[in-house]
Amino acid sequence: MLNVLIVDDSLIIRKKLSKLIENLGHTVVADAQTGQEAIEAYATHKPNLVTMDITMPDMDGITAVKHIISDHHDAKIIMVTSHGQEDMVIKSIQAGAVGYILKPLTQEKLAQAIGEVFSEYAIEESDLLDDDF
Amino acid sequence: MVLDALILQIKLLLQDDMGVTVNNVQSQRGVTSKLSMKSYTSMIGTGGKLSLLIIISFDQSMMDKMVEIFMEGEEIDPQEELEIKNSVAGEMINTIIGLSLPSFPGRGKGVTITPPITINDASSISKHKNSTIATAEIHTDFGNFSISIIDSENSTSQEK
Repeated sequence: MLNVLIVDDSLIIRKKLSKLIENLGHTVVADAQTGQEAIEAYATHKPNLVTMDITMPDMDGITAVKHIISDHHDAKIIMVTSHGQEDMVIKSIQAGAVGYILKPLTQEKLAQAIGEVFSEYAIEESDLLDDDF
Repeated sequence: MVLDALILQIKLLLQDDMGVTVNNVQSQRGVTSKLSMKSYTSMIGTGGKLSLLIIISFDQSMMDKMVEIFMEGEEIDPQEELEIKNSVAGEMINTIIGLSLPSFPGRGKGVTITPPITINDASSISKHKNSTIATAEIHTDFGNFSISIIDSENSTSQEK
């Protein structure tokens, strides 16, 4: 079971991700609405995994990734993004993020992204759950 | 071109990912000078190679359906209700534009998008000077919503 930090300025996405993560058997240890909150929450909770929005007020997700990785080299951060932000995704990966999920969010996409980062949670295609917005 | 791309992705998103069938779409380009807002409205600006304001506006029943889908039937804390609805409107336009961007002029390369902005208590938006409005009304079994583009520079001109 993974302890997960959700970082997103959208309330509905925080709720959605929280539900999907818990459906997969993991625990949401904290959520954050801004990049600065994310840095502080990471230091406090030391989660196994972070889901990180790219566009947020006060500090974008890429900058937050850089800060977290500089202090915690083994941090595992997955970006949550819309199509059309490919350049931002590339910058995030260069900054140290280990993967990304494209919206609309589904349980399947989240499970695949987690499985690619943590091999013990890798899923077989036959195990994939139904699409879920 | 931009409005058509948005309409296509709205249909795909609603029907394939949310199980909501689009019954009818009524679009008009360059005819109206004023947009009437519904109950919940959010907008996103595009910049870089394409300067547009893109506005989505949901009526009450359509928003209720969207919230039901996003929340998967979970109870909503009444204190969070407005924020959730505004958040849903913002996520919808953000996702629709993100999905549509590769179909924008130049395949969306060099086009930047702002975070969604919520508009509260507005009844209408009017165009200014030489800007143009293209709008589409989307009808579903659960309610209606509109997607509109204000092009302040006629940057898409005949393509829009």
